[in-house]
Amino acid sequence: MSFEERILMELKDEITARAERRRRTGRRLFAGAAVAGLAAAAAIVVPLLTGVEQPAYAVTRNTDGTIDVRLNEFRDADKLEQDLGKLGVDADITYLPPGKWCGEDRGKAIGGDGSPEDWDASASGRAARLDHDGLRIDPRYVGKGRTLVMMFSEAKNASAGPKPKTEWQLGSFVVEGPARPCVVVDNPLWKDTGGSGRPPAGD
Amino acid sequence: MRRKRAEIARDHAAFEAFYRRHVDAVTRFLARRVDDPHTVADLVAEVFMAVLDSAHTYRAESGSEVAWLYGVARNTLSSERRRLFRESRLTDRMSGRRPLDSDDLARLEERIDAERPARRVLAAMAGLPEGERAVLELVVIDQLTVTEAATALGIRQGAAKMRLHRARRTLQGLPFVMEGTPG
Repeated sequence: MSFEERILMELKDEITARAERRRRTGRRLFAGAAVAGLAAAAAIVVPLLTGVEQPAYAVTRNTDGTIDVRLNEFRDADKLEQDLGKLGVDADITYLPPGKWCGEDRGKAIGGDGSPEDWDASASGRAARLDHDGLRIDPRYVGKGRTLVMMFSEAKNASAGPKPKTEWQLGSFVVEGPARPCVVVDNPLWKDTGGSGRPPAGD
Repeated sequence: MRRKRAEIARDHAAFEAFYRRHVDAVTRFLARRVDDPHTVADLVAEVFMAVLDSAHTYRAESGSEVAWLYGVARNTLSSERRRLFRESRLTDRMSGRRPLDSDDLARLEERIDAERPARRVLAAMAGLPEGERAVLELVVIDQLTVTEAATALGIRQGAAKMRLHRARRTLQGLPFVMEGTPG
């Protein structure tokens, strides 16, 4: 077998391994979140850009009514809230420094009392889902008069390389009415994803 | 587009098609810059590994697949060079090498030989500022169009043209006799 074929085999194994890691990581992080009393958290990876040419984010509405948010930089939260508002989603977005999180009292979360599986099936669990390069919001699960709360916190490892990336945690849930303000506290999940060096989501 | 991007990194068949389409071009790209067959083979694997990491950055509308791929290959190569600079190559690197049989070695050495003129021209460009050299490399050595080179480097087309112009002016007198890379 030529080296090209062997490399191809290795890479296919890697694709399989990544799919497996993604599946496991989602569950593990969720369990961590449930134990800590947080609504939901998962790690996403966002490139750290130093230039100013690229906007902080891009919002795209899909034909099925869902909204994709691709994040390039964690800034302009207010503007992102406005843009989502125009698409019919009331959102409350907080970008937090490394190791910090919002306190629990943001409002009554829809689906907040059940098991992780119940949560996953609830409006809170379905309103915002991580995608491979950002997140997908489904306005149907947010609904009128409710607010989609999203908190992003930086984990400590930024991978080296020409396009450095950093790892972040997202916590999201839906509350009745407007969200109460974020009171910054230490992030209980900080150690969960902070030390691996490699993003657990794999991409 | 989203579906296609996700497919390359997640679907075996889609990835295999992508790999087979480009593995030769990537091998030649690397053979123009590295003259050791083992390192070339390792880097081919690294580049496609990086493709899995960054498949989501590919935009069909912003240029050809190969331009994007050369951008990934450049980044892989430069982070590999930084890594080698930090680590001792002998202690760390040798043990992890993938084995190459004599056929592999012969084919890779042939490629590396074929790219010797390109490596000579690259060496002559070494004195240029990094930004200018990058554009010139992709256009003259890797035969990308200026638009594709801009895509590979993530810069605007105008900036690429400007850099190319400056680089050529600096290098007037250097004989760019390129036979065109084979097949």
